[in-house]
Amino acid sequence: MIEDATNHRRPEPGRRESPPGVDRNVKLRLESRIGYVDLVHEMAEGLARRMGFAKSMALNIGLAVREAVINAIKHGNGMDASKEIEVSFEQDDGLFRVRVRDQGPGFDWAHTSNPLERENIFRSSGRGIFFMKHFVDRVEFQRRKGKGTEVVLEKKFEPSGRAGRGGEVIKRRKG
Amino acid sequence: MKANARHHGKVTVVDLSGKITIGEGDIKLRQAVNALLDEGRKNIILNLGGVSYMDSAGIGELVACYKRAREKGVSLKLLNPNGKVQDLLILTKLQEIFDIYRDEREALASF
Repeated sequence: MIEDATNHRRPEPGRRESPPGVDRNVKLRLESRIGYVDLVHEMAEGLARRMGFAKSMALNIGLAVREAVINAIKHGNGMDASKEIEVSFEQDDGLFRVRVRDQGPGFDWAHTSNPLERENIFRSSGRGIFFMKHFVDRVEFQRRKGKGTEVVLEKKFEPSGRAGRGGEVIKRRKG
Repeated sequence: MKANARHHGKVTVVDLSGKITIGEGDIKLRQAVNALLDEGRKNIILNLGGVSYMDSAGIGELVACYKRAREKGVSLKLLNPNGKVQDLLILTKLQEIFDIYRDEREALASF
């Protein structure tokens, strides 16, 4: 691991500090090693749980982030350990957002094959982006000029017991 | 991920536990199935009851095992996928490809 930076927002004067895991942004910079995939998955799942997501939904978020990190390491950085990936976790007004950046030349995410098609169902690869799109509300790929690719994953907060997709955004009460 | 094989006559049941994910679980699954194929086993059941979840690499390896087995004339079936693993098999439509059983006796008798 290269760097682990945790930033707490300072509470405004007179306001109580939020509980751990809320109002918290975390950023990781990691070497491109598959061994770090579990670490990022567990961090995503753990932060989602602390934000109040149901256990099954937190696992879904962890799995989506896992796939984004695998993509960044394998297809973005081409398994080149000297290249970094950067992962940031943000809570933003009832939304859990995760950004995964690589330093590679980019890959053609727009033309991935549908793994449900009969001719693809026996393929041993090609399901990562499909999983990402299924497990969170929004997946967006952005090519950063000369800097690699950024994948943004977003999941609206839903209270425990409502693990379906979409749904009303419910803000967690503080204090 | 752990894989323990036990033999019931002509059928081998592989009890898998943990998670089947990139870099470890997928490799252990491949090694376990390849070892049985190399031994000449013809009927294999992968017991997924102890598997908590899989990622795309784990699902991919499961498909690869199925294909390798089929190419060698070996029958590979699944037993007792639970929770997230079952969700993933349904999501990927692989439950339409694999023979999946809930009961081990029934699975053993199916060969």
